Amino acid sequence: MGGAGGTAARDIGGEKSDEGGKAGGKITVWSWDVAARAMKRLARTFEKRHPGTTVDVVDIGYDNAYDKITVGLRGGSGLADVLTVEGSYMPRYIGNFPSGFYDLTSLGGRYGGDFDRAAWRTVTGKDGAVFALPWDIGPCALYYRTDHFRAAGVDPKLLLTWDDYIAAGVRIKEATGRKLLIMDSTDAGILPMLLQQQGQSYFKGGRVAVDTPEAVKALTLMKTLHDKGLVDYEKGWDGLVTGTKEGKATTTPTAAWWTGTLNDEMPELKGRFGVVPLPGFTADGIRTSNIGGSTLCVPGQSENPRLAWAFIQFLLTGKTNQVSMLKREGLFPAYLPALDDPYLSAKQEYFGGQAVLDVFARLARNIPPVENNKDDAKATDIMISAVNGVMLRGKDPRAALESAARQLATATGRERVK
Amino acid sequence: MTALQQAPVRVHPARRAGRYAVRLFLAAGAVVSLVPFLWMAIAATHSTSDLFRSPPPLLPGGRLLDNLARLQDTIGFGRVLLNSVGIAVVHTVLSSLISAMCGYGLAKYRFRGRGLLLGAVLATMMIPFQVLLVPLFQMMASVGWIDSYQAVVLPFLANSFGILLMRQGFVDFPDELLESARIDGSGELRTFYQVVLPCVRPQLGALVIFTFMAQWNSFIWPLLMLNSEDKYTVPVALNTLTGLSHVDYSGLMLGSLLATLPLMALFLLFQRQFVAGLLGGAVKG
Repeated sequence: MGGAGGTAARDIGGEKSDEGGKAGGKITVWSWDVAARAMKRLARTFEKRHPGTTVDVVDIGYDNAYDKITVGLRGGSGLADVLTVEGSYMPRYIGNFPSGFYDLTSLGGRYGGDFDRAAWRTVTGKDGAVFALPWDIGPCALYYRTDHFRAAGVDPKLLLTWDDYIAAGVRIKEATGRKLLIMDSTDAGILPMLLQQQGQSYFKGGRVAVDTPEAVKALTLMKTLHDKGLVDYEKGWDGLVTGTKEGKATTTPTAAWWTGTLNDEMPELKGRFGVVPLPGFTADGIRTSNIGGSTLCVPGQSENPRLAWAFIQFLLTGKTNQVSMLKREGLFPAYLPALDDPYLSAKQEYFGGQAVLDVFARLARNIPPVENNKDDAKATDIMISAVNGVMLRGKDPRAALESAARQLATATGRERVK
Repeated sequence: MTALQQAPVRVHPARRAGRYAVRLFLAAGAVVSLVPFLWMAIAATHSTSDLFRSPPPLLPGGRLLDNLARLQDTIGFGRVLLNSVGIAVVHTVLSSLISAMCGYGLAKYRFRGRGLLLGAVLATMMIPFQVLLVPLFQMMASVGWIDSYQAVVLPFLANSFGILLMRQGFVDFPDELLESARIDGSGELRTFYQVVLPCVRPQLGALVIFTFMAQWNSFIWPLLMLNSEDKYTVPVALNTLTGLSHVDYSGLMLGSLLATLPLMALFLLFQRQFVAGLLGGAVKG
């Protein structure tokens, strides 16, 4: 392994008072999409503030970013100095490549309290070692079509529980003929979101947790939505966008970044959407979850880790830059102090004057942290077929989940919860 | 041939029906394979947000120039296209030459271990590329070639498929011709270039098309090797248009459309060679 010898991660070292003042030279940063755009913009500011440094941001594309990163980690060289990795993906890398990244604890550990708890969980390994800093998160809420709700006489503010949601869905369907939400039959649909809302992922304490009472509740809810004819099935991301644009479904339970998609792809629907917190499993339960979000880390093979850290610190641990990335690139900050900025309480014209970012900012602080690990990919495959069995072939949720838990335990060699 | 065509031919009705059925089937096949291209062309002239409309637009829109400007702006399409052309041309010329030489050697020279060597070439075809990925990556890294054009081109110059294809072409090549060239005082290289190569034009033409297409469409290796946006090839650059919550479909469609043009040009160019070579062989019989 280039640089990172043995099985322990290389310590970034340095004193806590060290603000990267000595850093110089050149680093390369890999990212994609709007994140790359944001970093290209702010890299110029960073270079001005730290004369003698060069920050080269490369857009490597999202679709195959992990192929490129994984080969570099296995090969022990060829990676950039700063990598963008999604939060849900970071634990896989920490698990599979324990010496692949710099341990940032001595410099980054002190920021723990400033970041969203759920996001922080994704960047820390065993014993709380910090391997990355969280960048953005995807707090979830319920987007709804104001016109459909008005036509059916349903008040979105009264959707306190998922039962209320189902009842409203039935009424809206009677009044407008629209279904309630769009799901993709080729993935696990809203199951991961519903699980995180109840504070768990597919694993709990390293054990398989796909047949817990919470999981049964989540999948039963999905089956009820299906059985009442409230689900419109569309394939993939494009299906979701087209279906929403066409008004096939009247709500979308999803993350804050969906506001960007609505603005970009459906300008003609301006004024027709509103946002309320997710319905809860109980009236006073948690009203949000998380989808997406990313982190920045320094691979152990970097030859300029100090400058890499200085750039990450500059980008993520200050209110000004975080808010500017929310404003310009729509990246919702995991850095909590940024959520108090007046920009978040500004009324949004697209949403008929509602201050939607404020809704997400309030919810962001309550996202339950969950466990991700290196077996997530295996779990996802098994869960997709379990969900399909229930939704499309009418299997019993409890039985399907129990069988999925057995399969997953065998596939991963992990024990089962309970 | 002409006399036959002019004379009124009586065709059995059942046979004629069969012929129409075949034509209908072929026409349907043509439509099925052309519609994606048509859609690509239409989509390239609309904004992405229009493409999500349903029903999707069926006629060309007016955003072609906007999309082109954006493509140039976001991924530097001109530069990227040039990179792809350069890499593919250099690779195709070198690789075809090497394949032809190796194939010729394996077919026409008798030497100890020839069968073994041929077996070894065959065996490399059985190794899946995924297995080679990491070791090859480490090799490139150790010579400091990551993010260079030669790292994209060099590892695949000796292409076992090409070598075998050319060897098959040379096996039936008459030894007498080689002998007479030698008697006339031609050296080995000259014999190869002036006597042998012109006779295997059809195979060479096919190989050039195959090799160029493979390099032109090659994605994962250039993606792994190239780390600067101004060195990207077309597939790698187009890949960056797919984001997490935003996909620039109109840009993708336009870029893909433009990327097929050089391939078509090459195909038309070498198709004539291809046919000429075939006919030449037939007459010589």
